Amino acid sequence: MKAIRTALVVLGLLAAPAWAGQGANVYNVGVDGLGCPFCAYGIEKELGSMTGVEKVEVDIKTGVVVVTMADGATLDETTAKQAVETAGFDLRSFEPVAGK
Amino acid sequence: MGILGADWKAGRFSPSLATLIVAATLSWNEAAWGAPQTFNTAITLVPGEFVLREQYVFDQSGDDPSGADRDRVAQGVISVLGYAVNKDLMLFGVLPYLDKRLELNVDGARRARSDRGIGDIRLFGRYTVWRKNFTGGLVRISPFAGLELPTGDDDESDAFGRLPADVQLGSGSWDPFGGLVFTYQSLDFEVDAQLSYQVNTEGGNFGFGDVARADASIQYRLWPRELERGVPAFVYGVLEANLIHKGKNAVDGITNQNSGGTTLFLVPGLQYASRRWVLEAAVQVPVFQDLNGTALEKDFIVRAGFRVNF
Repeated sequence: MKAIRTALVVLGLLAAPAWAGQGANVYNVGVDGLGCPFCAYGIEKELGSMTGVEKVEVDIKTGVVVVTMADGATLDETTAKQAVETAGFDLRSFEPVAGK
Repeated sequence: MGILGADWKAGRFSPSLATLIVAATLSWNEAAWGAPQTFNTAITLVPGEFVLREQYVFDQSGDDPSGADRDRVAQGVISVLGYAVNKDLMLFGVLPYLDKRLELNVDGARRARSDRGIGDIRLFGRYTVWRKNFTGGLVRISPFAGLELPTGDDDESDAFGRLPADVQLGSGSWDPFGGLVFTYQSLDFEVDAQLSYQVNTEGGNFGFGDVARADASIQYRLWPRELERGVPAFVYGVLEANLIHKGKNAVDGITNQNSGGTTLFLVPGLQYASRRWVLEAAVQVPVFQDLNGTALEKDFIVRAGFRVNF
């Protein structure tokens, strides 16, 4: 029984990163430079204009932008960094969080 | 112009002639600046987007040491259109529509002089040379430079003759200006400060004095007190200060000793800022005025308007 539980835990750990790979389509993008509602509009517009982006939600308090991609679309860190910098901000972090 | 000033005090010139020279102290130039609310150079823009600011301005001057009991009201709508070429380069155009009226006593009778129409357009660019982004804010330093064009009429007349320079809608001259603007922005408050200088050249035979300014603004978030998830609209309490020094005006190269001087305004105000809209209002109160001769003193300036990104 202990061996089964251990196997399940190992399988769970192995399975967990699956959303962080090719199948992930929701991303937490940490953005430095967001200090006002006007700024939030700027980053929403820039990230929202990228191909495959379905939804952009800004949390101004934490400076994190949640980017949801359309089915089958993904976002890579280089593309996100370029968009963030084009809007006048800096990329602080980039984290795939889940698939839909 | 020093001679004219002495003669005016001696009663050898009519008040209307003296007013042409003396009251020119009060150019509309300052009204065409403005953001935070009293200067436009710190406006935040989204790359590839436009911003439109419409600001109604009511400018009252009436403390007249000359004895002519001058009362001057200049009101109008200042339209500011900005475009962000990229994250660093912003271009702005400022178009004032003005209604100016001056009342004064001449030979025992009350006389009114007025004009209405387009004023002098200002064009300028701002380039951010240094920027530091951090979580929840930024710091940036941006020089700016521009030109005020002689698009407003400067040779209008009425039944009493040529209008005084400060009732004319424009200066008639090409006037370059430039400066430096600093912005510190955080989620709790924003501080903006600028230093600027405008060289006023001569238009026709008249030239306004040069203008040097030091401006500062703090916008403190009053509401919401605690930030929650998402992007709420902000209500800012605003306090600005404008230290403005104007040089003496000149006619035919002769300096008017009754023009120019230094004024310090304190400016309380409010601002409501959402993602795309800003509603704003402020009152400029002169707390210190050291004007030359009989130059007309400011009473107050009211500003109210909105900004929108598109």
